[in-house]
Amino acid sequence: MTTATSGPPVSGFIESEFNPLVHEVAHRCLLEHPGDGARTALVLGSTIGDSTTTDLASTLLIGGQVSNPLLFMQATSNAILGFLSKEFGITGPLVSLSAMTDLGSALLDTADLLLDDEELDRVLVVGVELTGNDRTAAACLELGLERPGEDFAVALLVDRDTPPRQPGGHDLRRLAERPTP
Amino acid sequence: MAEVVVTGFGVRTAFGRGADAIRRGVFGGVPSFAPTTRFDTGPYRTPNAATTGSDKPDSQRDVLGDCADEAVEMAGFTARDDTAVLVGTSGDFATLTRFWRGEAGVDVADTVPAHLVDLLAARIGAAGQRLAFTNACVASASAIIHACGLIASGRLESAVCGGAYLVEEEVFAKFDSGRALSRDGVVRPFSVDRSGMLLGDGAAVVVLESASAARRRGARPLATVAGWGAASDAFHVSRPHPQGAGLAAAAQRALRRAGDPDGLLVDYVNAHGTATKFNDPAETQGLHEVFGTRADQVPVSSTKSTTGHLLEAAGIVEFVITLLALTDGVLPPTANFTEADPSCDLDYVPNTARDADVRRALNVNAAFGGFNTALVLERP
Repeated sequence: MTTATSGPPVSGFIESEFNPLVHEVAHRCLLEHPGDGARTALVLGSTIGDSTTTDLASTLLIGGQVSNPLLFMQATSNAILGFLSKEFGITGPLVSLSAMTDLGSALLDTADLLLDDEELDRVLVVGVELTGNDRTAAACLELGLERPGEDFAVALLVDRDTPPRQPGGHDLRRLAERPTP
Repeated sequence: MAEVVVTGFGVRTAFGRGADAIRRGVFGGVPSFAPTTRFDTGPYRTPNAATTGSDKPDSQRDVLGDCADEAVEMAGFTARDDTAVLVGTSGDFATLTRFWRGEAGVDVADTVPAHLVDLLAARIGAAGQRLAFTNACVASASAIIHACGLIASGRLESAVCGGAYLVEEEVFAKFDSGRALSRDGVVRPFSVDRSGMLLGDGAAVVVLESASAARRRGARPLATVAGWGAASDAFHVSRPHPQGAGLAAAAQRALRRAGDPDGLLVDYVNAHGTATKFNDPAETQGLHEVFGTRADQVPVSSTKSTTGHLLEAAGIVEFVITLLALTDGVLPPTANFTEADPSCDLDYVPNTARDADVRRALNVNAAFGGFNTALVLERP
């Protein structure tokens, strides 16, 4: 399990802290625990997603500037998961999801479900949130969601020996406090 | 493992609402592309997309809600406390644009993908797990795969899955800038003169249940989901693996689960078929890997040739189209087909629908980053 509030730049990824954060925690986890990429899945969760890239693209559009296709790709977490899958030879399922509440539990439940598959041995779970911007602040206010106080990511490598999750749910911070097997 | 069945669906494309609109358009091989008036297309290389023609389209929340109403009515289904709601969406981009333009009365929360799922769950009274799948062109297929796992394992008995994308300027501009859009307003999957994809409006909702739960309440299954699988290419952040390795692996996982590892029982494949330079040969290679020497005997079509690329909704709308192929006994064609690309050598059901006794069909999707999904549907 690893956490980070910042990460070094990742080659080819620009503008946002989202992808470097994901890469930092996932990279550390996977380096510390090497395994068979063919029997590994990746699950990424974020309630809001990469608002920095998404909203930069939107404001450029409104400003009449030429759209950068890189911003579409990088605003979707497929790009960084694809980058990681290539780096570590991971050919199992890649999943990215969003939940309004209890994202930590949603990620762990998804990992648990994926491990029903006898063709998989482990799932790297990554949770990430950015502090956001005016748009996400307005959305959080409307939805009664607490805004993240800082950019933050957590990664947890789950296998069949990992203890079942505690009832009562986890937010991403609680996920980071989870005891490792 | 519990058997997973489909008991209802609601669907919308540029052809309109419901199955009959799909029969007329998709199975009729009639492309739905035209210059869109939804925004000023002057700055872009092409004005074309498959839209419903309305300058002010419905919001994703409304379209998903309408599809859900149709799906639960068709299924005669009442959501239970444990019914999961799983939706492929990246949020409402039209709302995002309106927010940054400073327009009044914007439902800014609709830009949060999971909020759209919560709205849908509230509309149908479902109180189980609620997740948005945000992995682009495989998002709604991933939602279906997740639901199948939950139901098959006995964790729950029912799930309502959805997916939505409505053409808007944010994504249109990026695909245009990336030169991914067809230059001449026509989408020609697998043809030598293809020049790219076009975007389309799409949304669908399906009701999935365990066969025993459906039987208990007297519901008639429309189809069984016999297998599902996902796999990644581990190749490139934007390009597919040239041999379609991940797509083949996903299909093989799904077929193993369906008890047919070599795909001998598959009568039809609904392909991802984007009509882009890299996708179509890679997908063809992947299908060769799946079916081996039988590959040229399995009909394969890309219905994006009529609907356009529906992004997060692609998986679930094509799932519904595949279901209709099973129930109607008709294979939808690859429209606009001219001459096959030399590297695309399968039976693509060119231009005209074909009657066929389809018992089992495979539906595959792919997304940038090397994401691949596969679903096996079977006629009851």
